[in-house]
Amino acid sequence: MNVQVDTPPETAVLELPPEIVKLAIKDLSFFYGQKQSLFDVSVSFAANAVTALIGPSGCGKSTLLRVLNRMYSLYPGQRAQGQVILDGEDMLSSRVDVATLRARVGMVFQKPTPFPMSIFDNVAYGVKLYEKLSKADMANRVEESLRRAALWDEVKDKLKESGLSLSGGQQQRLCVARGIAVKPEVLLLDEPASALDPISTARLEETIAELKRDYTIVIVTHNMGQAARLSDHTGFMYLGKLVEFGETEQLFTNPVTTRARDYITGRFG
Amino acid sequence: MTAVAGAPRLSRRIGEGAFLTFCWVATGIAILALTAILWSLLSQGIGGLDLNIFTKSTPAPGSEGGLLNAILGSLMMCVVAMIGAVFIGVLAGTWLSEYARDSHYGKVVRFLNDVLLSAPSILVGLFVYTILVAPLKGFSGFAGSVALALLAAPVITRTTEDVLRLQPVALREASVALGAPVWRTILTVIWKAAQGGMLTGALLAFARISGETAPLLFTALNNQFLSLDLTKPTANLPVVIFNFALSAYDDWRRLAWAGALLIAATVLTVTVVARILAREPRRS
Repeated sequence: MNVQVDTPPETAVLELPPEIVKLAIKDLSFFYGQKQSLFDVSVSFAANAVTALIGPSGCGKSTLLRVLNRMYSLYPGQRAQGQVILDGEDMLSSRVDVATLRARVGMVFQKPTPFPMSIFDNVAYGVKLYEKLSKADMANRVEESLRRAALWDEVKDKLKESGLSLSGGQQQRLCVARGIAVKPEVLLLDEPASALDPISTARLEETIAELKRDYTIVIVTHNMGQAARLSDHTGFMYLGKLVEFGETEQLFTNPVTTRARDYITGRFG
Repeated sequence: MTAVAGAPRLSRRIGEGAFLTFCWVATGIAILALTAILWSLLSQGIGGLDLNIFTKSTPAPGSEGGLLNAILGSLMMCVVAMIGAVFIGVLAGTWLSEYARDSHYGKVVRFLNDVLLSAPSILVGLFVYTILVAPLKGFSGFAGSVALALLAAPVITRTTEDVLRLQPVALREASVALGAPVWRTILTVIWKAAQGGMLTGALLAFARISGETAPLLFTALNNQFLSLDLTKPTANLPVVIFNFALSAYDDWRRLAWAGALLIAATVLTVTVVARILAREPRRS
């Protein structure tokens, strides 16, 4: 007499085929002191693709991002449990040098953070940490990075001017250039457009779409339109858990879980 | 508007007016006092200000002289003191801001620094007298420098910590995210971002110690003659002003006024420069 009703699943996480995975998180839990803010998150990020992380404020998406380059290790009370596997190697292992990890995994922050130095030195700053380049090589590297960040034409005549003299959108693209100058494999973007006006945002999005060819990109965003426009895969997080992960188009048009559906249709969040 | 609000508006306006008047009067008193000081300094000091001040040493009563030995002595002691104080203050302030922001040890050090910041300068002079002057059996310019450094270091520690704390966390993280170690981040990014404020703090500390008299009475004492030897008693403007101003000789008193004007002008210049530096363009 039981009537079988199809209830939607609590969570739905798409497993990517291993050959396209660049970076994988396995059973990741995260603690701010006593407070746990990520619960057994497992998810994979495909190479040369953009993965967006969405979810309401405080859901843990930025925390997740900050685990990927071990940014949390700056703060004594914070600790992560689980694995972050980059090309088969666990990046959370104490054997992995944190500077090497950060050379492979770059990050761009919510607010533009140009250093108080010239545009040229801003881009060269990270490179100097790892490589001893000749003047000419460094100039080439800086130009190449600025070109890729779609900033070269605007700053090529004023490389000696302070990075702080640029507009907000230009500053953010300068930060992107600074990040890619060290030739990372993965680029983490933490709400990179939230402090920018619509035109700057559009330009930054174009840049990100360009960069996808060479990098594995993970972007945290509050802007669902942005996630839909930019990303190949999207993960929806809620209260420290990964609720749903899948192809962006599928997740936005036909989410499997109720929570993701409610969030995307604007019923909460 | 109708008359409904009439009564409360009147009392409010009276209150407003009374408060404003009070503020004006208080400000007026402060400005009046400052102008009176500057006026007496200018009117009495400007007459004594001639080339001799900078070319001749302090004279015997009745003979020609200037303040060269005192000016040089003050400069030397202040410079030596500032070198030590900047070194200690910048490092201590950096430690407090970057490494010990929330630690208990840091809180204790911060509290002790605040106590030192408001310690009477005569106490600092006595302290240096007991640990340096008495055991070594002699007043010296170095002892004076140590006393002045002890007064300047807490100021620099405090201002350094304050301006470093103002730097956004994101700036630190941006550098660390590139793989830079924390010490390198501080040296190349955070100090650079805060350099205007740090320099301002150092200049204000310099302004403070350049007029200190009490600590020098116990340490550098004074010297009638021109001397570049900091291991000996060293002439300095504040003590010369103190001695000459209380003397019975007119020419000595004129020199004291000129010296006082000189110090006031220096402090004013340094403070103005500090303000200009503090106003340099900041990140929005």
